[in-house]
Amino acid sequence: MKPENRIGIFLCECGGKISNRIDLPQVSELLRYEPWEHLGVYPYPCLAPGLEAIKQDVQAKGLNRILVGGCSSRVMKKRFTKALAPLGLERHQVEMINLKDHVAAVHEATPQELAHKAAALIAGGMASLRLLEPFEPVSLTFEGPALILGGGFSGFIAARELARHGMESVLFSKAQSPERVLDELHWTFPGCRIFCGDLADLLREVFTHPRVKVMPDQPIDYIVGGVGDYHVGLKQPDGSVTEVAGAAIITALDREYGPGNIDYIGGGERVCDLLELEEKLGAGDISPGKMVFWVNSPQHGQAAQELAAMAAWRDSLVLAREHPQVQPMVVYPANITLPLSGNDLREARTQGIGLMSYAPEVHPVVQSGFLSFVSPGDNLEHEVEWDTLVVPGAPADPVEKAQELLRWLPIYPENGGRLQKSHIKFWPDQIPDESLFFTGSAGGVCDLNEVIQQGKKAARGVLNLREKALQGKLVSPVVVHVDKDLCEGCGLCTEICPCGGIEHVKPGSGPIARETDNHLCSGGGTCAATCPYEAIKVLNNSTQQLEARLKAILSRMKENEILGFVCGWGGLASAEQAAVKGLTYPKGIYLTPVNCLGSLDPFILSMAFLNGAKGIMLAGCTPKHSCHYHYGVDHCWYRVNAMKKLLSLAGLERRRIAIGYVEVNEPESFVRMVEANMDVLDKLPPLPQDDQTKARLWAIHATLHRPRVRWVLGTSLRRPTEKEFPGSQFNAVDADETMLEVLREEFLAARIIKAISDQPLNPPGIALTMGEPVKSITPLLPDMAQEGRIKLQGWEGGYPIYGLGKK
Amino acid sequence: MSAQKTKQGKKTKEGKKAKKEKDDGLIRFKINGQPVQAREGWTILETARQNGVKIPTLCFHPAVEAIGSCRLCVVEIQQNGHTRVAASCITPVQGGVDVLTDSEEVQNVRRWVLEMLLAHCPASHQIRELAKEYGVTSTRFKTEHPEDACPRCGLCVRACDEIVGIRAISLGNRGVFKEVTAPYHQRSADCIRCGTCLYICPTGAMEQLFPQVSAP
Repeated sequence: MKPENRIGIFLCECGGKISNRIDLPQVSELLRYEPWEHLGVYPYPCLAPGLEAIKQDVQAKGLNRILVGGCSSRVMKKRFTKALAPLGLERHQVEMINLKDHVAAVHEATPQELAHKAAALIAGGMASLRLLEPFEPVSLTFEGPALILGGGFSGFIAARELARHGMESVLFSKAQSPERVLDELHWTFPGCRIFCGDLADLLREVFTHPRVKVMPDQPIDYIVGGVGDYHVGLKQPDGSVTEVAGAAIITALDREYGPGNIDYIGGGERVCDLLELEEKLGAGDISPGKMVFWVNSPQHGQAAQELAAMAAWRDSLVLAREHPQVQPMVVYPANITLPLSGNDLREARTQGIGLMSYAPEVHPVVQSGFLSFVSPGDNLEHEVEWDTLVVPGAPADPVEKAQELLRWLPIYPENGGRLQKSHIKFWPDQIPDESLFFTGSAGGVCDLNEVIQQGKKAARGVLNLREKALQGKLVSPVVVHVDKDLCEGCGLCTEICPCGGIEHVKPGSGPIARETDNHLCSGGGTCAATCPYEAIKVLNNSTQQLEARLKAILSRMKENEILGFVCGWGGLASAEQAAVKGLTYPKGIYLTPVNCLGSLDPFILSMAFLNGAKGIMLAGCTPKHSCHYHYGVDHCWYRVNAMKKLLSLAGLERRRIAIGYVEVNEPESFVRMVEANMDVLDKLPPLPQDDQTKARLWAIHATLHRPRVRWVLGTSLRRPTEKEFPGSQFNAVDADETMLEVLREEFLAARIIKAISDQPLNPPGIALTMGEPVKSITPLLPDMAQEGRIKLQGWEGGYPIYGLGKK
Repeated sequence: MSAQKTKQGKKTKEGKKAKKEKDDGLIRFKINGQPVQAREGWTILETARQNGVKIPTLCFHPAVEAIGSCRLCVVEIQQNGHTRVAASCITPVQGGVDVLTDSEEVQNVRRWVLEMLLAHCPASHQIRELAKEYGVTSTRFKTEHPEDACPRCGLCVRACDEIVGIRAISLGNRGVFKEVTAPYHQRSADCIRCGTCLYICPTGAMEQLFPQVSAP
């Protein structure tokens, strides 16, 4: 990218859809004094003739930044970037302003009025484009073995796949021999004894393969590094830590099974759970007679019941083959799908294994020697005789090892103890490669077969990364950049980051500057908005660019108009959908799409007010599950909340800023939201333009730049590991008051600085300028002087004189 | 077609070259009698739109590859005394032909298409508006599903594949049973809820279908 700015603006008529609603020649006129190299109006820039014309202009005028004023960037940007890529233009060098859906289709106003709005949005886009920065993508090396952590069974499969494809791996396992692994298998996968022969072959291959190193399981002290270069610290029994390095990490975690719910049945030895039966099978100690497997415990969910039915069926097969003195029978609830094939059913008939379903509405009753249940076929109670009654085990939490790993990897527990990779859902081309591999039944109740597939898939993923690296194509896009000089190593970003894009550091290594792993980064940007020292930057989507864009838009806005931020998912989708549906809303709202509301730095909000915005509306996804960036929209809520507190400290209306939530496919809600907010703001006067208000807005802005305030704000944000928001607010009022206290103090300090920014003053003079009583500021002054924020410049008439400079 | 504006003065460069008949890579033909120039690889629809000639479309969107499924964009192509009717969105330009976008033949085909659409997806406001624009207000075909708004043009499916790259939705079944659905009729967990299908849907049918294909 050439550092010199050469911006080309291409306005689309869209066959009249835009040009009939917006006076495009007037837009060109309004943009006359903006620094562009090319500005043209095209009938359809997106069609082949239009693209050809754009390409000619790019080549003829050497344009390196393209702004298309047309329609949705979500849908059309790919078309333009694809066409312009051969000319060396990168994705971020193409900016789209949605004139059709944000201006032309949704407002009832004259083409001249809409031209004004369109010009403002385009000027904003240009301001943002001007701040693009060149960068070189980083080529990653991918050397060393794959580290397979967690000890889940899928790890063995992954190790075998990797070994067969010539890649080394280090596998950590509690069990150190194939026999031990199989002995313990029923704890995680009950009913898999029938596969022992095949599994033993697999395990023998893994344990004896020269490319697989099986190491005893050791407590994990730390996991640092990124894709291609991970370091795992292992705690040794003597307290020391040894380090293993590897190119990739596969996390294989399984869920253990606990004892089944048999206490209420009683019956001593004759009643057991699947785990006990497995142990008896292992010992060959099986009493003859009728054995009934009763799949109960609907509280664990249908998936667990299906798994239990499967395990019961497999154990029945083992019994029928190896212990002919036993007559097994499986009694299962009718509402689950029995996962058996036609062959299995034929086998059941030949082996004499009974399969009976019961109506789940009526709980079966256990009697001595009998189990009575209601058949769904005839609604009649039936009885089966038993000599041994077997109930399934209960799916318990993921293995203990999980807790050690969760601290370091972006894997989080969901409701019900289920572990999930950071549940970020994006367009595939927004994330470079799949590089976080999480397998095993801890991610959801599943069968051994499925876990084996997961293991294979993870291995294929690792091999894919290695393949790319060998071809030199494993390139990390620079998404997030940490300024080493500004970073103080506080680690707040690592805690906040949901995607693992900010790397961890070794424990006890002190405050060192953070590194980023852009292969995992999702570009959510809440880290940048949180950093107390403003050291983090989302490259080419930075806060500085947004600031420039908003300043450009604000300078062209009228005094009764407001700023709107929409997140790139729920907010933007429903805003554009409103246009598609033909809905309209007042034209006084200037929408700016951002990736996620969580990427909005709090000082962006204060900057908008400082530059004359009358109000701000933010529309994001509904918190909890639909935010694509985990808790981004929650984080935004805290920042809006801080802004509201500061507004009321400054004596302005809190309702000048409002956040709303809207889902994709809810255009009506979006329109209602805009209309309601505009109604509220219409009743408010524009921001007063007197010096006192301006000084206060300046102080709000300065307050939100203070590391102390940003730090307190950052610590109050919800962590990705935290689960529920509404019910479990802990000390909400107290926490809020602490926050308010900090804001009040810093706001006052900022106002003092503003008061003496022009000339040094004594305390009564400062108080007079601020319009506050002297006693409210006197306690603060000596502290601020001590911190070096203001300077004591001498004494006059018994009063100290404070100023900003030395003297 | 006197009302149609012609865009001129856009291509000053090409205008300069136009005197040289050969080797400038331009293909010359006529749309409704008006001489136009195009380049190799452009379609008739693209060339017509570039020149301000209006052709209605439904299943066409510039962001995805055209498949010509709705046949609404038909034009009449006359060449050497022969004439044929083709979907302009997938027909590449050809030198020396006469393209008619509003001939009797074209109007006839378009009316048939619109009548079939009216019968097939009567619930769509957009379809009704479009039909009205071309003078079609009733249909002689039987309407089986009065609540249906989806013309099965597959634009959403192509968008999910080509723009988003996810393939969370697909066209299920064939023929008259064709429907937009998630694979295996299961609400798709792959769906990222970006809303591209909602935006691109030309008839507003996706709004009803979306909750059925996307897992929350």
